[in-house]
Amino acid sequence: MKAVIIDNDDSFTGNLEHLLVESIGSRPLVVPYSYLDTVNLDDYDLAVISAGPGKPSEYPDYAALLESGVPVLGICLGMQIINEHFGGETARLPDCVHGKTDKVEYDGHTFTVARYHSLYLRRVADCLEVVAVNGAGVPMALRHKTRKIIGYQFHPESFMTPEGAYFVDHAISFLYPNRSHEVPRGRRVARKALRR
Amino acid sequence: MLSDSDLTFGFLSYTYGMKLRDMITEKRTEFPYGHLKKYMTVLEYDRAAGELVVHSGGDQLPEEIQRAISSAGATADFLMSSHSKRVLAQSLSREAYIDGVRRTLEHIREGYTYQLNLSIKFTIERESLNALSLFTHLYKTYPAPFYAWFRSGQHQILSTSPERFLRVDGGRVLSQPIKGTLRFEQYDESLVRVLTESPKESAELSMIVDLIRNDISLNCEYGSVRVDGHQSTFVVDNLVQMYSNVFGSLKSDRTCVDLLLDAFPGGSVTGCPKKKSMQIIDKLEPNTRDIYCGSFFVIKDRKHMDSSIAIRTGYYDTNTGAFHFFAGSGIVVDSDPEREYDETVAKAEKFLKVLGQ
Repeated sequence: MKAVIIDNDDSFTGNLEHLLVESIGSRPLVVPYSYLDTVNLDDYDLAVISAGPGKPSEYPDYAALLESGVPVLGICLGMQIINEHFGGETARLPDCVHGKTDKVEYDGHTFTVARYHSLYLRRVADCLEVVAVNGAGVPMALRHKTRKIIGYQFHPESFMTPEGAYFVDHAISFLYPNRSHEVPRGRRVARKALRR
Repeated sequence: MLSDSDLTFGFLSYTYGMKLRDMITEKRTEFPYGHLKKYMTVLEYDRAAGELVVHSGGDQLPEEIQRAISSAGATADFLMSSHSKRVLAQSLSREAYIDGVRRTLEHIREGYTYQLNLSIKFTIERESLNALSLFTHLYKTYPAPFYAWFRSGQHQILSTSPERFLRVDGGRVLSQPIKGTLRFEQYDESLVRVLTESPKESAELSMIVDLIRNDISLNCEYGSVRVDGHQSTFVVDNLVQMYSNVFGSLKSDRTCVDLLLDAFPGGSVTGCPKKKSMQIIDKLEPNTRDIYCGSFFVIKDRKHMDSSIAIRTGYYDTNTGAFHFFAGSGIVVDSDPEREYDETVAKAEKFLKVLGQ
């Protein structure tokens, strides 16, 4: 699987790259946001939108990527960008959280995940479906209802998310329902997570 | 014991770290981007073995070196009374620092930074300061693992840092970021729990651990980066501090200099995300950091290096007779502005005390 990570000048993108390699077994291309227009998206099976500073409206160039048809995984700001592109709204999170863990229910299981966000999805776009929230009801994961787009508000690549690889595997399984056999190592991690 | 020395000693300034990230500051800098030196003779004290190892690649006779070592007396005491002028200036006053913390909190709530290190530059005028004796005095009274003394142009730099930045030993990479501080008058063991169980202090460290993982991952093998001993503690200068060990395996085609430059400046002194935090710091701090928050390092070869984060660091400008030193604090969303000011002053305390302020 060929993947491209678009880096929004974040400081966790290298962690995301290492985590992604665990799942897809090949080295992704990492491109700064400012070079997004140089990427030929047709060459890739997966585009990952990284976390980063600021708010979605400061990253207008993602519109083309989100309409290109290439499967997309958005992390943190990346998920907020997906939501705003499809008509949702982002707002300041009361009592914002950075560098702390939280519990989320996802895929029928409870996971500990790392959170770093000042903003949250105040209104979710109609075409998106929230598939995980935290105890306070803050959206933590979403999927597009018809397209191959998925997002996580939390950070699977943090060392504070013990089952980080599970979330990447799960995203790839959602984006490629018939190709899950291509992530053998990831499935091993996922089974470990589910045994708990 | 004699052997050839090929060690390179030096520093990189924080200003160079800005340049590495395409940031141009308009402030005047008093330092070169970096300064590297090789010495004819290097003395290495092996504390565990109680041995002094002399590395000498030059023509100096071993006897000459031995004579110099054996005739070296005790280091001179640092005498405060010999200095009369005691003018203290701060780049940010108490009020200005607290205002800076409030602004930082607003940037955090807007999502531009998760943590930001805000510092103060202190200046004391001291004509004919004996900076070397100040250095040895500090080393004796406030020991820490990463002291450095370095002459560069008109500047005599003394770093009293407790923090390792990056060590490369063969292919093994270690970084030990420090975050989380608790000041005490009288140490007792319960302080460790107070610090490690504080959600605020723990979050400060965790963020920087993720940042360091990222920064070393660029030059480390996939799957090799791991965290060990998260929230370990140590005591320095009447402060309990927390740190973690972040390990990785250097890629075979990369050198310790690749690693150093890609990870520089250290995440514990910038904040996170690094570039945006550095841009905000440049707006909030009226001064350049120069050597402060840069790094000192010793490089042996492509795969062997040790380096510090140049915190708790000052320099004496022999042209102007002014001694400058710096201290700062990591600001997170739970920060109380006045407490952060107090923490910053606590970190400057040893300089303030020794210099009679």
